[in-house]
Amino acid sequence: MTMTKAAAAAPSGPSAQIEIGNVGKVYGTAGDGAVIALDGVSLTIARGEFVSLLGPSGCGKSTLLNILAGFQPATTGRILQDGHPITGPDPSRTVVFQDYALFGWMTVQKNVEFGLKAKGVGRAERAERARALIDTVRLTGFEDKYPHEISGGMKQRAAIARALAPDPDILLMDEPFGALDAQTRVLLQEEIARISSEAGKTVVFVTHGIEEAVFLADRVVVMSPRPGRIREEVLVPLPRPRTAEMRSDPWFVSTVSELWETLKPDWQKEEEVS
Amino acid sequence: MSSPSAALARPAATTGRPLVRLPKTRGFRAFVGLGVFFLVWQLLTTTGIVDGFMLPSPIAVAEALWQMAIDGSLWVHLGASLQRVAIGYLIACVVGIALGLLCGWWRTVSDYVRPVIEALRPIPPLAWIPITILWFGLGDAASYFLVFLGAVFPAFVATYTAVRSLDRNQMNAALCLGAKPSMLLFDVLIPASLPIVLPGLRIALGIGWMCVVTAELIAAQTGLGYLIQQSRTLFQINNVVAGMVTIGLVGLAMSAALEQVERRVNAWAPSERL
Ligand SMILES: Nc1ncnc2c1ncn2[C@@H]1O[C@H](COP(=O)(O)OP(=O)(O)OP(=O)(O)O)[C@@H](O)[C@H]1O
Ligand SMILES: [Mg+2]
Repeated sequence: MTMTKAAAAAPSGPSAQIEIGNVGKVYGTAGDGAVIALDGVSLTIARGEFVSLLGPSGCGKSTLLNILAGFQPATTGRILQDGHPITGPDPSRTVVFQDYALFGWMTVQKNVEFGLKAKGVGRAERAERARALIDTVRLTGFEDKYPHEISGGMKQRAAIARALAPDPDILLMDEPFGALDAQTRVLLQEEIARISSEAGKTVVFVTHGIEEAVFLADRVVVMSPRPGRIREEVLVPLPRPRTAEMRSDPWFVSTVSELWETLKPDWQKEEEVS
Repeated sequence: MSSPSAALARPAATTGRPLVRLPKTRGFRAFVGLGVFFLVWQLLTTTGIVDGFMLPSPIAVAEALWQMAIDGSLWVHLGASLQRVAIGYLIACVVGIALGLLCGWWRTVSDYVRPVIEALRPIPPLAWIPITILWFGLGDAASYFLVFLGAVFPAFVATYTAVRSLDRNQMNAALCLGAKPSMLLFDVLIPASLPIVLPGLRIALGIGWMCVVTAELIAAQTGLGYLIQQSRTLFQINNVVAGMVTIGLVGLAMSAALEQVERRVNAWAPSERL
């Protein structure tokens, strides 16, 4: 394998869990109204690494995440998970959605148990493991509530527990806190920082919040739109687990404002388009 | 979402003592509504505002009903109608739901089938009667067919709409959690569809009930429709109205029973709250 420029900066070798090689995605048929959502995206993600995908609206973050999840195929290029091509959804890669996508007809407990039931785990063990996960996301006491009976933040906690249940290798999160208010968002960021470092999962976290991206990730991958490309990568040297005080770390503060300066033109362009 | 506004929205009902304390159940209110309706009807006929020859009083109708209940003819006709509606409705549900699933799931099938259905749908069951008699003669089969025609379209539309409005993210969530096809069907597809499908099936039953009476007016030797028709030729206006009242009350009972089922099954769905 020849080393590309993008791969040189990223950790690779035996610890690579996801290898995205020159992936492109075109929506619609070429010619009439085809949208190039992704163009030549290459990225290698190490086992246990936390990667934030940061970029303005429409730069293809969700598209890339959906391809990683196996919900849709890439038009060109290839994606390997532990050396094997990704062909469809698999419980080794679970997803947390922006709109939670909880099953409204099931209690929190049953939602969390879903992935265990799919695995064929027995009733009693299922219930016990789900309870432990509900405890991890601090939802104990709400097991028997239905999604419509709990707040947005709690829904997202439940969705995170549900995604952790099948014990995936990779956790994919698409703007999981996008629909939450600022305070809840900050609290959940800290929860995710804690849970992800405890669980030691590989995480791909899509966001357009610069602070959030830097606070959580080992590496921030910045994308730019039209066509969706990787623009730069920022390695975050802060130790994990991340804690609230790190938000005032001088490196953190200056990195966030630098990123804001470099991204401003893209963001502004996006404002004008939409 | 889970705001305290639900508690605030209810004005304090304890200030001032109401003269009469009416139970607040839906059943009680339905009873009062119907009671007032019959009372007004009775008053209109006893005061002579409406000629008793044009419209018999509720008491006269009740007497006629009682007579027919005692001599058993009411039960024979009611049983015949119920059996016909049951069979026609069941066939309509099977066909309507199957077609709805096919068209909802596969876009291509929908493109071919839906224009045909949408062209057949506006033809009222009454217009089908001549050809129904030509095909099935004056027997039960003609009634089954007319009930089927009345009920199949609402069953189809409800199922089709339900499948089309399934949440892609919920399906994707189930898939990435490792759901096999059977789990996808029984734990996701069906429960997610019921809030739309069940009201559709209730409407279908109501229309089927109307159709069976229509069919019996013309193409049967038993049933409530036949009872009305026969009483008309014998100038037994009390029996005519008694037949109508039976049809109305049975229809009311059927939709109340189905609504009860809906409220149970869809307790989690937004439209069933409050
Ligand atoms: N199913 C689709 N069909 C056609 N075009 C699509 C589809 N999904 C996305 N696109 C287009 O692809 C581009 C990338 O979309 P994508 O949803 O991946 O962006 P994003 O970075 O996730 O944006 P946001 O931050 O708003 O979620 C956009 O121009 C979008 O209009
Ligand atoms: Mg997106």
